[in-house]
Amino acid sequence: MSTLDTGERRRSGEHRPVITELIDEPTIQSIAEDAWTALVGEDEILVPLPGELPGDVLSSWVDVVGPWTGTVVLTTGRETAAGLTRALLGEHAPAELDEEDIADAFGEIANVVGGNVKAALPGPSALSLPDVGAAPAVRNPADLCRVDVLWRGEPLSISVQGALPALPVH
Amino acid sequence: MKILVADDSRVMRQIVIRTLRQAGYDDHDIVEAEDGADALAKVSSEKPDLVLSDWNMPNMTGIECLQALRASGSAVPFGFVTSEGSPEMRDKAATAGAMFLIAKPFTEDTFREHLDGVLA
Amino acid sequence: MRALVIDDSRAMRRIVSGTLENLGFEVNQAGDGREGLDVLDGGYVPDLVTVDWNMPVMDGLQFVSAVRSNPAWRSMTIMMVTSESEHTQIVRALAAGAHEYVIKPFTADALRDKLALLGLLPQEVVL
Repeated sequence: MSTLDTGERRRSGEHRPVITELIDEPTIQSIAEDAWTALVGEDEILVPLPGELPGDVLSSWVDVVGPWTGTVVLTTGRETAAGLTRALLGEHAPAELDEEDIADAFGEIANVVGGNVKAALPGPSALSLPDVGAAPAVRNPADLCRVDVLWRGEPLSISVQGALPALPVH
Repeated sequence: MKILVADDSRVMRQIVIRTLRQAGYDDHDIVEAEDGADALAKVSSEKPDLVLSDWNMPNMTGIECLQALRASGSAVPFGFVTSEGSPEMRDKAATAGAMFLIAKPFTEDTFREHLDGVLA
Repeated sequence: MRALVIDDSRAMRRIVSGTLENLGFEVNQAGDGREGLDVLDGGYVPDLVTVDWNMPVMDGLQFVSAVRSNPAWRSMTIMMVTSESEHTQIVRALAAGAHEYVIKPFTADALRDKLALLGLLPQEVVL
């Protein structure tokens, strides 16, 4: 390979953006705040401070497939996820919450946050149905934008992470 | 009036119903559907005056449900309530015959804005 | 550069193989995931594998999982080929070990561009 730059690489079609070129933490924070205000309660606040997640965590996520492909993942303690579920269900909350209630509510919050992140990214793109469980692994640490907040004092993280592995260095 | 609320999330259906009430539309009959196929069947059996539907659902999406309705000759007023509010989605919705698209998260004001012409 | 094209549609195999051959690849084909594994077991280890998502006998996801569990095949770049309606499964395929994806219908240029990004174009020599 010579060192002469013919522009071949630049001209050759797609540049594959990483998430940090497309969205930033304040935007994610703002999207989450809007979701919380509408779903959890008008006076709810998300404090942009990191906290230590407990051992028993639950994640919910949606996938975005398009010019940028990846996942919007919410992670918090299981107890906090239950608290979120109660807040969302309001007066309809049963005395005992079951796994299905939590998966539904926590999944729906991921759907709303994820849908709005998707709308902020270049399109056209598609959004998956939400899923709940153990957080999908980070495939490329350079393709990651994460916001850590405290909700009612409890830690919660919102991670927008790319699904494609890093391009090979050549 | 009868309103059909379609969303695979039970929580979200409750939030939509709650917001309808908060927006002042509190003396309507509400029917719920949990996916596009269920919604399609219920439009037939319940004959609602308005459908409020999520976009992304298992079994049949909201847009597929709307397309099926219009293809079968149903003119039932149909609006989307969805987490994705991009211009492309709005175009797609309008092309398929939707009256409006409300993006989540929404407020009672958003509901009033879009529904005032449709609901008494 | 060697490629393996796996698709249950003969037409798709023909189109993708043709495109890759024009780009300078030596190409082998298989009609489903099981056949694809047989080709690999036979000693043909390509630089690139294109795999259709939806195939009988063994589908794309199963194929990717099988490949990724074999250290001898770790150097292969796996590109999923999927249709518009299946595309929300793509992240699952990537998590299982696929490296890239392309959505049908795709142009030869679109495929070429992705291969260039991946450093897999045989002619990717800057003179």
